[in-house]
Amino acid sequence: MKVKDQFRFIIQNMKKNKVRVFMTVLATAMGCAFLIVLASVAFGLHDTVLKDTMESGEVTQIQVHGYEESETSYRAINDEDIKLFEDLEGVNAVTRQKSILQEVTFSTEGYEVPAPAVSAHFPSEEKSGLELAEGRLPEAPNEVVVGHHFASSLIPEGQSAEELYDEQGLVKEEFRYDENIIGEPFNLKLKKIADGKESSGDFDVTIVGVMEAPAREWEWDQNVYLTDHLLTELEDFTGTPNAELYDPSEMEVTETSETSYDNVTVYAANVEAVKAVSDKLKEEKYATYSVVNEMKQLNMLFNVAKAGLIFIGTIAILIASIGIYNTMTMAVTERAPDIGIMKAIGASPKVIKRIFLLESSYIGLIGAAIGIAAAYAISVAVNLALPMILEAVFDEKLPSGLRFSSIPFSLILIAVIICLTVTILSGLRPAKRATEIDVLKAMRREI
Amino acid sequence: MINVNQITHHFVLGKKGNKTIVPVLKNISFQVNQGEIVTIVGRSGSGKSTLLNLISGFIHPTEGEIIIQDKKVSEFNETEFADFRLQHMGFIFQNFQLIPSMTAFQNIELPLILKGMSENARRKTTADMLKKVGLEDFGEHYPSELSGGQQQRVSIARALVLEPPLILADEPTGSLDSETEQDLLQFIRELNRDLGVTFLIITHDDEVARIGDRTIALADGKIVESGVFA
Repeated sequence: MKVKDQFRFIIQNMKKNKVRVFMTVLATAMGCAFLIVLASVAFGLHDTVLKDTMESGEVTQIQVHGYEESETSYRAINDEDIKLFEDLEGVNAVTRQKSILQEVTFSTEGYEVPAPAVSAHFPSEEKSGLELAEGRLPEAPNEVVVGHHFASSLIPEGQSAEELYDEQGLVKEEFRYDENIIGEPFNLKLKKIADGKESSGDFDVTIVGVMEAPAREWEWDQNVYLTDHLLTELEDFTGTPNAELYDPSEMEVTETSETSYDNVTVYAANVEAVKAVSDKLKEEKYATYSVVNEMKQLNMLFNVAKAGLIFIGTIAILIASIGIYNTMTMAVTERAPDIGIMKAIGASPKVIKRIFLLESSYIGLIGAAIGIAAAYAISVAVNLALPMILEAVFDEKLPSGLRFSSIPFSLILIAVIICLTVTILSGLRPAKRATEIDVLKAMRREI
Repeated sequence: MINVNQITHHFVLGKKGNKTIVPVLKNISFQVNQGEIVTIVGRSGSGKSTLLNLISGFIHPTEGEIIIQDKKVSEFNETEFADFRLQHMGFIFQNFQLIPSMTAFQNIELPLILKGMSENARRKTTADMLKKVGLEDFGEHYPSELSGGQQQRVSIARALVLEPPLILADEPTGSLDSETEQDLLQFIRELNRDLGVTFLIITHDDEVARIGDRTIALADGKIVESGVFA
């Protein structure tokens, strides 16, 4: 018997009991939709986290915090280490920054701001893919690049803090610096202590570039990025490494502190190379951190959550399978005389079994198809409505790009496989019963 | 064509601990030749239907062997016998055994579907068969919309549609009036004469028994007489 004919046969049989078949399909569809919607929450949140991480551009970064000299002590990264990192296979760039260890004030035309100052190695920053929102990278020693929020942090000199800031802690519109800061000369004021006396020095700098806004909305960047050359000038002025504010005549300066970096980031050539580079650095006893490594744990956590939710969803399908079992058992009982006749004229038990298994699979497939459509509709509705509801209830804006529910093809595939397996299994016993029907009893209508 | 050797059969009634063995057939042996019409007669309870069911493969003999077309069918499993029935046997039942939810056309088409014939070929074959049994205008009728005679014709058409060499008939005229019975007997004779189809017919009707080239009489599970029905 051809599959096409078997299929036609089951459609004909199903039409005999439309209501019962419809209710069974409905139960299966509900179970399938429940499974997909439930698991889609884990998929949605996982996607959001992954997207957020990918967009932050941090996936190829490996932060190196120090070299493990012993189990309890670490030393800072120095130029020798940087050379070693740059020579590693799969490394695109190694950026290194030193922070100026005192508060630096920048001022221009009646505006000022105390801002963290950091020296950066701009050639490696450029190689790492650093992009500016406007302007260019420094070319002369006294040129600087400022963080995206530097200009909006500038405040008029002599104003009290109460008048300057709004409820959110931002400088009020009327007090903001509204000139273009590119090419603007600024004064960098730095303090030093010499022979027990504190004094200050002024350095002329020019802003030549503004950084891109940080990837995360909540991040605030008002740093000033200096050249190595300018940092050396500042260190010469204070007589201390990183221009730290203390009396150099009272402290012994070690060689290590002079050449060490505060913030060293190794950029892998691509995401695939991150693991190899990270492993190599660990092998060389460097303390590292990379988002990719953290993402592995995160992925594991989300995968466990997905598996758990799929398992719970499967219980719903299992409940629906009771309906399928019942429907198929009833169908076998009702059609026993027909089965008897078919067997009498030459239908083999295999054919009879296949017909009933095909019928339960068909119910499962239709149920899965309806369930998938319903799950998509629910998913879209949830993604549209839930943020609005949460924002209304909690009066807080949710992070942009947040997706509560996501239905990838893999989830659809998993749901269909589970649905089909469960429905086939629930149809197995009735199908076997159909093959065991006694021809003579069936034809005498004794079943 | 059919070789029945030393067939003994009994039914076991009751459950464990309280079983009753009811002997039905005792040492039955006979042969049916190709192209022959053999009728089996006997009173109710003589074992004639059981004998037909054994030959059909619906039940297995307790002892003895049945050989049909050189195949020891008494050793076949259910699947093997189902395939054998489809290829080599046609059945005519007393109460027609048509599937009520199928039209006359679909009932006749069923063996062709089971055999895996293509749709076009089986549509043509079924239409030809409907014409042959004089029901070309009743193809779309359900069994409940047909008379007893018409239903039996559908049943015969279904039995013949695969052109099996052997037709087993169990009281084929049992549900028919005398006029329809005569038509059916005439039809059986024609099939036997024109197509060489072998018939093994179970009956308690003398009229039917007479069409047999040979008649076997059963009584109490034994063959008591064999020869031309007089």
